[in-house]
Amino acid sequence: MNAMTDDETLDRQLREAIPYIDDDGFTARVMVRLPAARREPRWVRAMILIGLTALGSGVAYLLSGGGRFVREGMLQLSNFPIWMLLVFAFGCGLVIGAFAVIVAIRKTPEVRDLARLRF
Amino acid sequence: MELSDADLIARVLVDDDQHAFGELVRRHQSSVRGLLRQLTRTDIALADDLAQETFVRAYKNIRSFRGDARFSTWLYRIAYNCFREDARRRKELVGVDEEQLQAQHDPQTVDAGLRHDLMHALSLLPLHERTAVVLCCQNGLSHDEAARVLDIPLGTVKTNVLRGREKLKRTLAAWGPN
Repeated sequence: MNAMTDDETLDRQLREAIPYIDDDGFTARVMVRLPAARREPRWVRAMILIGLTALGSGVAYLLSGGGRFVREGMLQLSNFPIWMLLVFAFGCGLVIGAFAVIVAIRKTPEVRDLARLRF
Repeated sequence: MELSDADLIARVLVDDDQHAFGELVRRHQSSVRGLLRQLTRTDIALADDLAQETFVRAYKNIRSFRGDARFSTWLYRIAYNCFREDARRRKELVGVDEEQLQAQHDPQTVDAGLRHDLMHALSLLPLHERTAVVLCCQNGLSHDEAARVLDIPLGTVKTNVLRGREKLKRTLAAWGPN
């Protein structure tokens, strides 16, 4: 056994001393012990979401007198000057883009950590 | 392309995808079982039981994983808690404690070869020093991560690592050829 000269050597030798443990059925044994899946698959949730959206749209259409307010809104919009429509579209894009960036930062740990860095 | 741990966790969270969780188990089983073997002083059967319990708990509580730390660090914390609960239960049942177990180890029975010397010397350390050395020196966790895993102050981790290293060096030097 060689004498340990420094912490780095000791740490390296400790790391190299760890044997890789073969799975050897371990994962299968864990999987058997897992509780049953708690949630319905993605497509079921997608169908529920689409169904509810369609139902809500149908109710709104009927209650608004066959979508009269949508037609009127579109007519009013077509009377606006083109530059005003462009500014409106650009503003909407900015707001949605900013919202998407905030959500992405909140959901991504790597980006969130980067945002916390102090320079 | 191999999915990252974060991708697999997202699949478990969104779809309750047990295959994705299985892949996480396959990736981390060796390090978690290795850690528990060190903590239980190479009691392989007990270590594997605790490792299974660790992964089942991880699956049940995966929604509490916020991604602040690495997934492996989070797993080590659960593994350490499983070990501590089991040790407490055993102590209550049969009255065997850490010091008694330590006294049962005979340094004369050490195997030949550096690897065996190291692992044996490691197993002779007191639990708190052994755990700190295994996490920081062997598994590459920072002192801060180890403090979170063990739920103890950062300074205590640093002290335990320092003392553990010194004892390891002394033990290995004593076993070495003169």
